[in-house]
Amino acid sequence: MLDISHLSRAYGDSLVVDDVSFTVKPGRMTGFVGANGAGKTTTMRMILGVLSPTSGEVRWDGLPISTAQRRRFGYMPEERGLYPRMKIADQLVFLARLHGLEKAEATRRAHELLDHFDLGDRAGDVLDTLSLGNQQRVQIAAALIHRPEALVLDEPFSGLDPVAVDAMAALLAKEAGDKPLLFSSHQLDLVERLCDDLVILSQGRVVAAGAVDDLRGTGPDRFRIRLETGDAAWIRDLRGIRVRDIDGPTALVDLDGTTASDLLAAVVSRGPVVEFSPVRQPLSTIFREAIR
Amino acid sequence: MSTLTREPSDTAVRGAWRVVAEREITTRVHEKAFRYSLLAMVVGIVATVVLTSILGGRPTDYTVGVVDQQAAGVVTAASDVVDRTDDGSSAKPRTFDSVAAAEQAVRDGDVDAVLVASDDGYEVVGDDKVDSSLSAALSSVAATSALESNAQEQGVDLAELQAGATVSERLLDPDAEDSGARQLTAFVFVLLFYITAVTFGMTIAQSVVQEKESRVVEILAAAVPIRAMLWGKIAGNTVLALAQIVLLVVTGAVALAATGETELLSSIGPAAAGYVVFFVLGFVALSGLWAVAGSLASRQEDLGSTTMPGQIILFAPYLIAVTAGEGVKTIVSMAPVVSAMIMPARMAEGGVPAWQIVVALLVNVVGAALLVRFAARLYGRTLMRTERRIGFTEAMRLRD
Repeated sequence: MLDISHLSRAYGDSLVVDDVSFTVKPGRMTGFVGANGAGKTTTMRMILGVLSPTSGEVRWDGLPISTAQRRRFGYMPEERGLYPRMKIADQLVFLARLHGLEKAEATRRAHELLDHFDLGDRAGDVLDTLSLGNQQRVQIAAALIHRPEALVLDEPFSGLDPVAVDAMAALLAKEAGDKPLLFSSHQLDLVERLCDDLVILSQGRVVAAGAVDDLRGTGPDRFRIRLETGDAAWIRDLRGIRVRDIDGPTALVDLDGTTASDLLAAVVSRGPVVEFSPVRQPLSTIFREAIR
Repeated sequence: MSTLTREPSDTAVRGAWRVVAEREITTRVHEKAFRYSLLAMVVGIVATVVLTSILGGRPTDYTVGVVDQQAAGVVTAASDVVDRTDDGSSAKPRTFDSVAAAEQAVRDGDVDAVLVASDDGYEVVGDDKVDSSLSAALSSVAATSALESNAQEQGVDLAELQAGATVSERLLDPDAEDSGARQLTAFVFVLLFYITAVTFGMTIAQSVVQEKESRVVEILAAAVPIRAMLWGKIAGNTVLALAQIVLLVVTGAVALAATGETELLSSIGPAAAGYVVFFVLGFVALSGLWAVAGSLASRQEDLGSTTMPGQIILFAPYLIAVTAGEGVKTIVSMAPVVSAMIMPARMAEGGVPAWQIVVALLVNVVGAALLVRFAARLYGRTLMRTERRIGFTEAMRLRD
């Protein structure tokens, strides 16, 4: 379990990360979202020890994290980077050995990952000669090369086409297994689809954190009602609800005192209803409300 | 769950610098530019030694034209004398029918000179000049034989006559005999030191800035302590530079041995060994600053300005070694870093008191340790700042 405990980072007078605390639980994909400049990358760099915090600490299984433990994390920085003129298998082996793997084991693992990414026959090619998509795959392989015990990935999906996003998501789910995985993303629909937990950062502070389902639950219960015919304007007269929108036969309402079954009974009693469905709040709404 | 069992790789953390060093070495060795420049230097050294040997100490076989038996005897006797002055040289007579024919042979270049009897002894005839050692040998032999025959005629004992007239020679510094070759060796030492130190210094700086520019430094810093990367780069490039210097010194030694210059070889042998030791100390002392030059830069183009201090620190002693007088050289040959280049050159020239060598060694060891520590701090502060070039003074003020 990875605990981020009261991390702060100041540059001069400005506080880029301000008392940030959250937990990345094993076996749960944790999404890290926030506007540009919210402090996501700075937080991730502090977790990896690339940047030292002004105050606060990172804990692993309840204890302050050590350098040796950090070496067993997998990290994909926001600014991608590998050696452009080095053969891809060679650089994976090099990185694995830096993480403490023996040469033979490192070589085996490098080829295993390259095969997994269908890059087995490119092992001897220098990075520069690969397409951007393939370079991204090598970058992910670099983060996974030493069978990390936790993964911290900064924008792992940026620059990928939808098919590649799905492949990457499947791979991450498999590789993460029961390990803690934290990844940042701008693509809220993606985060919504993949994540179990969510941390929303705004101007250096955590404004919402927790299970995605719980965060959605914090909003009002919203229902969409569609009548078979006619205008739904009369719904405004019902009590115990707040109407968000009326458009011809369709109405969008929040429960405000009544229950879903009472509302359904009231609507059905006035005529045929073709749709009565709960509207789950999209993450984008949670996000917008959280950072407001 | 015990934390102790989860803390295995402390040895692996400590060994990380070796992995970095290994990459530095293999990457460099695979570069064509590196191999070709090394080959060019090896060929250059062999060519220098061979050419010097051909142009310099080559023995000469003189042929001297004569018209009578007496002169032929003088020439034959002079052969021993020229052999003594110029190792392996000889002189032999060739008899002509007339003086005119002999002189024609001088003009045609068939003989080096003509020795003919004149009214008051002998005359040496050359074309536009007569080789000085040949001329001296012929004169002394002719004078001695004339003295001998005169003495016999007068009934004088020549040995008695010459008593007390012998002037013999005793050299206090016999090695200085080949001082020209020693000065050349010293110059080659300094030149190769300069070239090798700058080449591998720039390699360190480039290796660092490449990692910054490609942003791989972020992944490396997450994998190993920043210092491990620094030690690895210093170690890898020091090994490479040392290997190059040793290869060049051995090439020079083999070339000297092959051309028969064993005397020169044995006299500069200790200086060559000292050269290698001083090179390592001097290179390590500056290696940290080269790495800092890389970590201050954000792109390759910045290296021109950030490597300036390193270039100056190397170029200054190079200039001093080539141009300065003895007094200045003696002092700077004991200053840190600078001495690494100048002391071996002085040792090659000969006559350096042992205490000065010891002082230079100690000063270099201490200087290297301090400089590398200083550089490691600047490197740690600046490596992760990839957005723009940082100045030296700015880096000093940064906090860790």
